[in-house]
Amino acid sequence: MSTSIPDTQAQVAPPSLAAKTPWRTLLGRIDWPLALFLVAWFIAVVVPLLGVVVYSFFETKSFFTVYTPSLNTWASIFDSGRFEVILRTLRIAFTVTAVELVLAFAFSLWLAKGRASRTVKAMTLALMTVPFFLDLSSRTIIWRAILGENGPLIPLLTGIGLVEPGSAGILYSEWAVHFGMIIALFPTMMLPVYIAISLVDDTLIDASNDLGASPWQTLTRVVIPLSLPGVIAGILFTLGSAMAAWVEPSMLGGGFVNLLSNSIESAYSALRYPVLAALTTLIVMILGVLVLAFVLIGRRFGDLSSSFRVLRS
Amino acid sequence: MKEKSVSQLQLQRSRRDFLRSAALGAGALALPLALDLPASRLWAAGPATVRGYGVTTSQLKDWSVMTQSIGVQMEFTGTGNDVGVFLRDVVASGLGDQTDIFVFEAGTQDILGPRGIYLPIDTQHPALTLWERTPDEWKHSRVVQDAEGNQWGVPVIGNADSFGYFPEKLGLDPNSEEELSWSLVFDDPRTRGRVSFDRTWGYSLPMAALYLQSKTGKPFSNCADLQPEETRQVVDFLIERKRAGQFRTLHSSFEEQIQLLSNREVDVINCWEPAVREVNLKLGKDATRYAYTQEGYYKWGHGAYLPVQAGDRDNLDAIYKVLNYYLGGEYRALQARDRGYAGPNMDLAVAYARENGWSAEDIATLEETERKIARKFSKPLVSTTTPSNADSMEEQWQRFLNA
Repeated sequence: MSTSIPDTQAQVAPPSLAAKTPWRTLLGRIDWPLALFLVAWFIAVVVPLLGVVVYSFFETKSFFTVYTPSLNTWASIFDSGRFEVILRTLRIAFTVTAVELVLAFAFSLWLAKGRASRTVKAMTLALMTVPFFLDLSSRTIIWRAILGENGPLIPLLTGIGLVEPGSAGILYSEWAVHFGMIIALFPTMMLPVYIAISLVDDTLIDASNDLGASPWQTLTRVVIPLSLPGVIAGILFTLGSAMAAWVEPSMLGGGFVNLLSNSIESAYSALRYPVLAALTTLIVMILGVLVLAFVLIGRRFGDLSSSFRVLRS
Repeated sequence: MKEKSVSQLQLQRSRRDFLRSAALGAGALALPLALDLPASRLWAAGPATVRGYGVTTSQLKDWSVMTQSIGVQMEFTGTGNDVGVFLRDVVASGLGDQTDIFVFEAGTQDILGPRGIYLPIDTQHPALTLWERTPDEWKHSRVVQDAEGNQWGVPVIGNADSFGYFPEKLGLDPNSEEELSWSLVFDDPRTRGRVSFDRTWGYSLPMAALYLQSKTGKPFSNCADLQPEETRQVVDFLIERKRAGQFRTLHSSFEEQIQLLSNREVDVINCWEPAVREVNLKLGKDATRYAYTQEGYYKWGHGAYLPVQAGDRDNLDAIYKVLNYYLGGEYRALQARDRGYAGPNMDLAVAYARENGWSAEDIATLEETERKIARKFSKPLVSTTTPSNADSMEEQWQRFLNA
């Protein structure tokens, strides 16, 4: 209540007083750190982005940029199938992120709140960091030998009867790319989710049980809402990495699964900077729409900011 | 301001004094400096130094061999092999200020030559003694000249590329040297689903064009620099073949070429010749072969180009000595033996190997390379890595990848 008093006073202040010191009132009301941050953000993010948008209206001829505005580069994005590349990349990135979320949440829940001993927890977390010591291409290339037609997977699947004898294997397909990305990005999703779940106070879970909630109700009404910051961080990290995937589509997709990074690299080889600018513009626009949708959907399910209170503890 | 200039003068003077005293201390340098001789004379005592920048594999494994032969020392900075990167390095980073020789994959001369960033090669330079005897297909090729025929470089290494294959899987005699058709890559029912095709548009599009023009009997204006409408035709053909399941996979690195062959994942692959050599070391002699073709080859090459700034340097004679060394037998023989690369004047390499007591086997390999190059170069060749239609070729290639 005490905080609302100055507001009320400001509202009832005589207009003549406000008119005498309009700037002082205005300056006093500005949240300076926030304003500085917004200005810096505008200069560091929005201005370069506007530059990128402008650049997308130029084109490249014989390795040199022609600074005559035209729609040619934009037309080429659609004619060459690069627009489909964006959609394909988004589709694969979202699928991988969704699968990771389900796997990582279940795994983290077991690790953080299950009956695993401290030693098991410590060992599991240590094992999760092992992949970071090895280069991604070295890790991925091993799957080529396993998933290929002369690898051990095909005889195994044929033995179970899942695959026809003489099959060419799942290498060089979208399946293989999904598979490689899910393996590679698991720690990226799991680590933030695990930290968020382990921060959920056990007494809250006990209280929920004592009040007669079923395990499902405790999960959906206590654990999931309180672990949302970690889930959101995990989604953002995983989605970002999946959108930028480069090694898996090249090595496991056999060049047939053309994703954004490959397409960008190809444009760069002919120094087609305007194409890169147009692709960037499109992606930022699509992501902007998605984030907006995310926020709107999130609002329907309650106050997202309240979830972040868990971080204060 | 005045005070500042005085203090700057003092700083310069004291620096000069310091340098002079350091030189005096060095003893050997003291006399020429005191007599005020030109700086270049200082180098007369030791070998001249030439600074190179470019493709790592163009280097000798040990440059001291060259220093012993021609009295020039090489300081080489190696880089990857990407024309886009070369252009960026030379134009944006002003590398010509510090570099005497660029060794790049062909193509940059088309863009940097006419813009005055490269120094034209003086083919009459006294140090370039091997120029006259170097065959035209090397010294006047598009690797070292621009479209107008201006000489911007000296050939360093090169080859004519085709495809590797397993003779036994195609029912071919492994010892036969008959010319095969590129249809084995694109069209042959025997190889459907058993082909790997290189993912690099600059490499694969010209090869496809070479085959398509012989198939349809309608030649393209230039297979390596296709007009937009021609590129569309070639890509339509490739999309049709891709949909028919001709290609098992697309590869994008030398390591992948080796892996695909040595795992027997594919029967045919358009690849670099050293890949076949590597695979045969693993699978046995002649397990895979590199094709002689009916329609022609993709000719690639690395050239040595000079930045325009080098024209005013004191070591220009030494630079030309190195250019001449690239054409000579020692460099050729060592590059062929250590890296498996061919280049101009292979006969000089054979002579060098004989004079220096190389084994009969090594000499035979060099002779074989010489014979092979001569045979391949008698066929149609396509070559250039900076086509003027690069933008439309790259764009249409995306259509193939996305189809």
